[in-house]
Amino acid sequence: MIKVALIGNPNVGKSLIFNNLTGGKAHVGNWPGKTVEKKVGKCVYKGVEIEIVDLPGTYSLTANSIDELIARDYIVKEKPDVVVDIVDASNLERNLYLTLQLLELEANVVIALNKFDVAEDLGYEINVSELSKLLGVPVVPTVATTQGGMEKLKETVARAAKEKSRRRIIEISYGKKIDELIAKIERILQKDENLTKIYPARWLAIKVLEADDEVLKIIEKSPCVQEIVNLLPEM
Amino acid sequence: MNLRIPLAFLPENKQATVVEVVGGRGLVRRLYELGFTPRTKVRVVSSSSPGPVLVDIRGARVALGRGVTMKIIVNPE
Repeated sequence: MIKVALIGNPNVGKSLIFNNLTGGKAHVGNWPGKTVEKKVGKCVYKGVEIEIVDLPGTYSLTANSIDELIARDYIVKEKPDVVVDIVDASNLERNLYLTLQLLELEANVVIALNKFDVAEDLGYEINVSELSKLLGVPVVPTVATTQGGMEKLKETVARAAKEKSRRRIIEISYGKKIDELIAKIERILQKDENLTKIYPARWLAIKVLEADDEVLKIIEKSPCVQEIVNLLPEM
Repeated sequence: MNLRIPLAFLPENKQATVVEVVGGRGLVRRLYELGFTPRTKVRVVSSSSPGPVLVDIRGARVALGRGVTMKIIVNPE
């Protein structure tokens, strides 16, 4: 069985794609102890069962609010085989911020470029293959309202699941000084295998510099915390 | 014309450009995530004091508290 998570900004058509893929077989469940809902559904593609989880709509993956944290924890801890990032094609710039965060989390991302018809109506010409090349992940144009692109999406997800590697696809530069600091912290964190088994080291390093509350709590328990504290004067 | 006024003072349906966000790290980060980065166009959809301000930013509508819109500095067109 392939485990797939759907993620994206609010109002990009996540739930519509979810219903298209699962054919209304969805049931609503609660996250333990949380009020925010997740939906789980299933579909079958060429004999392979695909379990699909619809995550709450979010603009980013910081620890600011409970819904962002749920989405982030799901991707980091449950490690779905594929994360389908649903992007509003008529609003690329705003949506790609979340995409970059997912890539930094080293998730196995497939992009569904939804509302492709709206983008075309607005006169946007999106070079899909170039976008895919730049981001290093598959991109599938979809029109969820008419079920357009759904078969292609399933096919792409099934193929991506086979490769199934959590890998660093792109490295976003934050400027020379910060990049050096990220690299230093990353090297320290790599010594803690218990940590890097779960989290990508570079991602943790970036979050340390952002003073992300949840990540700082995790780092505090690590044996390499002192080495990072020693770096504080450089930060 | 280079003016600097808080978004809260922008009249309804008037367009402006974000100049900066004046606030703590948490608020600045949150507003950047929502798309309030410098040079982005914003438009006030509805605003009646006191109460929240409905803003159009990058093709999405976002409701913000009036206090928050005091911290977003814009240049009206």
